[in-house]
Amino acid sequence: MLSSQDFLFYFLGALSLIFGLGVVLYRNPIYSALCLVITMISVAGIFATLDAWFIAGVQLIVYAGAVTVLFVMVLMLFDLKHEMKTFSKGVIGNGVKLASSGVLLGMFSTYIWATYATEPTFKPMAAGATSSIKATKDLATSLFTSYLFAFEVIGLLLLVIAVGAVTLSRITGGTHHHAD
Amino acid sequence: MPINPAAWKVGLDHYLYLSSLLFVFGMLGVLMRRNVIVILMCIELMLNAVNISFIAFSRYAENVNGQVMVFFVMTIAAAEAAVGLALAVTVFKKFREVNIRFFEHLKG
Repeated sequence: MLSSQDFLFYFLGALSLIFGLGVVLYRNPIYSALCLVITMISVAGIFATLDAWFIAGVQLIVYAGAVTVLFVMVLMLFDLKHEMKTFSKGVIGNGVKLASSGVLLGMFSTYIWATYATEPTFKPMAAGATSSIKATKDLATSLFTSYLFAFEVIGLLLLVIAVGAVTLSRITGGTHHHAD
Repeated sequence: MPINPAAWKVGLDHYLYLSSLLFVFGMLGVLMRRNVIVILMCIELMLNAVNISFIAFSRYAENVNGQVMVFFVMTIAAAEAAVGLALAVTVFKKFREVNIRFFEHLKG
């Protein structure tokens, strides 16, 4: 008998896999973006089933909120009517790509099956550690003590990226002179 | 593998299977799509798949280091999306299309 935790995992996992496939298979990029939103939301739910409440919230805000809004806005900027045939052509090339993806999946699942199939399920969290406030506090403590330097560097990187993105989108020509 | 009720009990391996399946879907998209924006979306999908396994291992090992890594991956992913979309806008301005084959003309 499935517990509610297990049912939640299977439901969210199936949802994320179906809509993840939708991202790849839809010809219209706007449908891909909308599928991506649903995939992100179900991945946030999966994080929540693993007691990573803060990360689940960040996933909802950063991915399902900010990044996909960015994608959709850029898609609205373009007129992509002639972009419908967007799969790469060539039977041999596509066959090789499919085969290599299949081989990779086989390698992953064989490794997981050989290494972790006999592992017990997750231990229940220690008493007192299940509260989301405690878990978030632990994460923040780790982030601002052991990983403080990396955290500051990430902040600097975001500043550089903001300037760089604006500069890139303002470029009109190239660095070389053209006749056109 | 025989189907017994114990195999349906969710453990670390189920999360890892889910993660590798999502990763392969994203990889297929990156390999087979020609639209740069869809390729960027598929890269986001792959990063999400890796995040699932990070969080699963973090829960399994009962420490928060995996969650900190996911925090950093998310930041990098947002930055990468911003720069990639800016590049896509630049290419679209020049060629009126965002097919991946125009990216070899980025020099100018």
